[in-house]
Amino acid sequence: MAAPMAGRLAALGRRLAPPARAWLPGLTQVRWSRYGPSYLEPEVNKEVYRKPLEGLSEEEKTQRELKTLQPIKATASNVTSSVFSDPTISKFTNMMMKGGNKVLARSIVTQTLEAIKRKQIEKYHQASEEERESIECNPYVIFHQALKNCQPIIGLCNIQKGGKTYQVPSPLKDNRKRFLAMKWLITECREHKHHRTFMHEKLSQELLQAFNNEGPVIKRKHDMHKMAEANRAYAHYRWW
Amino acid sequence: MKAKHSKETVELAPSYLTALVPANHAEQHEGQHYSIPLQEVKVVFPHGLPYRFQMQMKTFNESCLMVRKPALELLGYLKNTNFAHPAIRYVIYGEKGTGKTMTLCHAVHYCAKQDWLVLHIPDAHLWVKNCRELMQSSYNKERFDQPLEASTWLKNFKTSNDHFLKEIKTQQTYMWSKRESTEKGRPLGEVVEQGLTRVKNASDAVGVVLKELKKQCPLGSFRLLVAVDGINALWGRTTLRKKDKSAVSPEELTLVHNLRKMVVNDWNGGAIVTTLSQTGSLFKPRSAYLPHELLGKVSTHWTLSFPSRFPITVSESLRAVISITLTASGFNMREPVQKKGEMNCCFSATPTPGSWNGSLLISDTKESSLAATAAF
Repeated sequence: MAAPMAGRLAALGRRLAPPARAWLPGLTQVRWSRYGPSYLEPEVNKEVYRKPLEGLSEEEKTQRELKTLQPIKATASNVTSSVFSDPTISKFTNMMMKGGNKVLARSIVTQTLEAIKRKQIEKYHQASEEERESIECNPYVIFHQALKNCQPIIGLCNIQKGGKTYQVPSPLKDNRKRFLAMKWLITECREHKHHRTFMHEKLSQELLQAFNNEGPVIKRKHDMHKMAEANRAYAHYRWW
Repeated sequence: MKAKHSKETVELAPSYLTALVPANHAEQHEGQHYSIPLQEVKVVFPHGLPYRFQMQMKTFNESCLMVRKPALELLGYLKNTNFAHPAIRYVIYGEKGTGKTMTLCHAVHYCAKQDWLVLHIPDAHLWVKNCRELMQSSYNKERFDQPLEASTWLKNFKTSNDHFLKEIKTQQTYMWSKRESTEKGRPLGEVVEQGLTRVKNASDAVGVVLKELKKQCPLGSFRLLVAVDGINALWGRTTLRKKDKSAVSPEELTLVHNLRKMVVNDWNGGAIVTTLSQTGSLFKPRSAYLPHELLGKVSTHWTLSFPSRFPITVSESLRAVISITLTASGFNMREPVQKKGEMNCCFSATPTPGSWNGSLLISDTKESSLAATAAF
């Protein structure tokens, strides 16, 4: 991946000089922020502010003091302090969004969660007493577990050596794993299902299958693992 | 059946289920739900329940209606109808998502329990749009028939009023074609059968049924309730076109023509309950809900009553709905988390559901209650 190179240079830049940003010849900063280095990150969780002063550790007390003095960045508009906000769900909605139509993406995700809940409640009512405890009805739990089940452990990356490109097995970062799981779920529903069924129906079906470790997305994850296993010989081509 | 759930869960709302019959619903039951056995639902409501309510029925395997003030008012008037006077026309109006169709269904259930003959047209808008087969009527060359819609309606009418169809007799001979006819004095069920078997004559069969019921109701052998959802469809525009691409006006449709005659209050011995609905309407803006906006000039002739918006505050009804959905899903939640979630829902649901266009907030009381259940 090209990422390691830039990452290494950035780390080098940070070590060279005390402030976070450093100027290096031949390296221009592409991403910048309107906020200076003194701006703090916002804290959205209400519970943090409800703790009494005595119950805070030294570190938390210094944090609180800093907050009264230093300026704070503005929160993103998709972050709320409500019980229902979930960063994974927000990420998923953003990935589903097409053409900036967040309203549609969000409504699809809400309908998916609703559909999952309905299916599970129906199963619950029809199941016998012993089975009822094992049936999970909370759609958020199902969503998170399904995503976790779809995440690959090991991935492949393209490395050029001697004019040929090899698929080399390499470890994946957490963000990359999460991204791949969501991407596979969404593409599976968009491309391999009947185009006249609603997205929320297709998605809820896929998520429930992934929750039970079956279905096409889990199969794709296993295929990725098999490819990595098959290409074990090239593992030493990786130098990081 | 219900007791098993309510023992386990935390009661947040006062005892929300009453097993009373609609006839006994009074002001103290406002905000509480009452359940209708599923067998009864199949008979009384073969059509007419909104889609979301049907989904709830399928998920929780029970059908619970909430008792609300407009419905109680309407039931009060229906209980005190004077059957010697002409039929009073009741119009339920209100903004989107406020419960007009459910109030109508409550009234229909009450009348069905009181053994009235219920003429329930689930959605008049379905008769003025999306018609696949529009035929020229054999009875009157100017008008158009809709065989599919008429036959579905006749089938559902038969399911709900079977016992009446055997007792009521036709007072006139009807010639369907050169060889088929229904003699005078035959039960009305035969007319319905004729409409179902010969789909070409279905719209005329509907017309005959309406005419007979209107003529015989003043005689007093039965009480008639005409329940029409979306009455503004009868006086609006249609999206149907003739062969030469000119628009069809509602008067030229047999079904609409006969229904219009039914809804005129020149008969006695029953009542007419209708709803104004923007949801299926044609060529009306989304924000229109008042009678003069949806009905137009006709609204001046109609009795105006029953705004369907809310004397029950939204948060109360929301709490009731949340608690009932939670217990139906068999949950045992810790109280503080549940209260916090409820507060969130109440903030996101506005007092006029459906008044937010394209906003990220959940804009329907039903949707927000489901979002709450999805969260738990």
